[in-house]
Amino acid sequence: MKASINQTLIESGEKERLKEMLRNKLIECGWRDQLKAYCKEVVRRKGLKHVTVDDLVTEITPKGRELVPDDVKKELLHRIRAFLAQQKELTSDKIPY
Amino acid sequence: MVDSELLGMFDIENETPKSETRSPEEDVLEELVDELSLGLCIEMHRSCKIGMFKIEEEDDEALKDFKIVDQPGLDVFGQPPLKKHLECVCPSCHRNLAASRFAPHLAKCMGMGRNSSRLASKRLASNTGKLDSDEDDERDIDWTYALQPTRTRRMKKEKPVVTTLKKSKTAKFGKNGDIPSASSTNSDGSGNGASSVKVGSSGTPMYDTLSLEDRKRLLLTTCGVISEHTKKMCTKSLRCPQHTEEQRQSVRRYILGLETDDRVRVRPDGTVIDPDDIQVDIDTYEDGDGQALRDSLSRLRQYETSSSGNPSPTDSTSTTYSNDGQTKKRKKGPKLTQRKKKRPPPLRLVQSPGGHGDVTQYDIANG
Repeated sequence: MKASINQTLIESGEKERLKEMLRNKLIECGWRDQLKAYCKEVVRRKGLKHVTVDDLVTEITPKGRELVPDDVKKELLHRIRAFLAQQKELTSDKIPY
Repeated sequence: MVDSELLGMFDIENETPKSETRSPEEDVLEELVDELSLGLCIEMHRSCKIGMFKIEEEDDEALKDFKIVDQPGLDVFGQPPLKKHLECVCPSCHRNLAASRFAPHLAKCMGMGRNSSRLASKRLASNTGKLDSDEDDERDIDWTYALQPTRTRRMKKEKPVVTTLKKSKTAKFGKNGDIPSASSTNSDGSGNGASSVKVGSSGTPMYDTLSLEDRKRLLLTTCGVISEHTKKMCTKSLRCPQHTEEQRQSVRRYILGLETDDRVRVRPDGTVIDPDDIQVDIDTYEDGDGQALRDSLSRLRQYETSSSGNPSPTDSTSTTYSNDGQTKKRKKGPKLTQRKKKRPPPLRLVQSPGGHGDVTQYDIANG
């Protein structure tokens, strides 16, 4: 189910478009800067020499998720839904049942 | 309801639907966010390892310290405007000068500019007195070498040698692009004033090679004042505003009277006296040029063996001439080295009673 959605998104190129949109929105709303600041904090805590990508990912990913503003989230969800609905119409046209 | 529809749709496609706590859109969104934060993580990690992290961090702090000040009465650094006039140190006399006075001072101190050229030439003349005693030996060689073309310049055969010599020399220096053609017209004896000036412009000794008539013609058409620094003749018209009538006259006296001066100086004591006692320009030029002349000689040989097709007809004539001159030059090469060891030969040459015009280099080489 999840994999099939993913596949549709990737095949249609919508995923890239969504990602680009999300990136712009997150930069606009300051999410990136916030996360970067947090990143710096983590690096400082761990030490510049000893920090690894894994450390950063485990620390940053949850923080990144929670930092996403609600309105951005809402808009993205709306857009994904619209796309999926559109896809459904197309597929239902193709495959009559 | 939309969700259920979607689920239904994907149920058709996937036989085994998963029961998700979150809607698939959220999953997708989360995935996107994770990808972005992963990108950020990797970027940060890279900057850490590269060393950019440190720089950026310092930059942040530095930015606070060096924020642009935006207050009336202060400049962007937060300093009140000062009336500060720039000062320059003269490279010649090491004095501090206001920048506005620097250029006029340089003109006076270093002898640049029109009015000070005479002053500077005086100073140079006094300086070269002691230089002469130091480098007398070398100078002698150079001068005997330079004098020979003078003596033999009326020989038609010899002339092209001189001009091609000049050609190669000027080509080496790369001062004037159109020298070859100018020198060839000169060798034909039909060159107008301007072109022959160009030939001579790479050094005063060039005038030696011109006949008296040529010099007269040249000086009738051009200003001809020899610059203190470039050692070139002024090629402007007779009423050129850069030079005074006085300067022009002195140059004419010098150039037209140089020949007789040389003879007088050479004969009585039997030694070649450097004419730089009279004129500084020649001396300074020849001094550095002796080696260059010899270099150009060897270059000339190479050039003439290699050059078969010349673009301009005048050029080709001069090179054919110079072929028989070349044999003379070759004989001259070893002779020069001989002279370095013992001085008498050039003196004998100078004193020879046969008259200056008759003595060719060929004879000298044999004698």
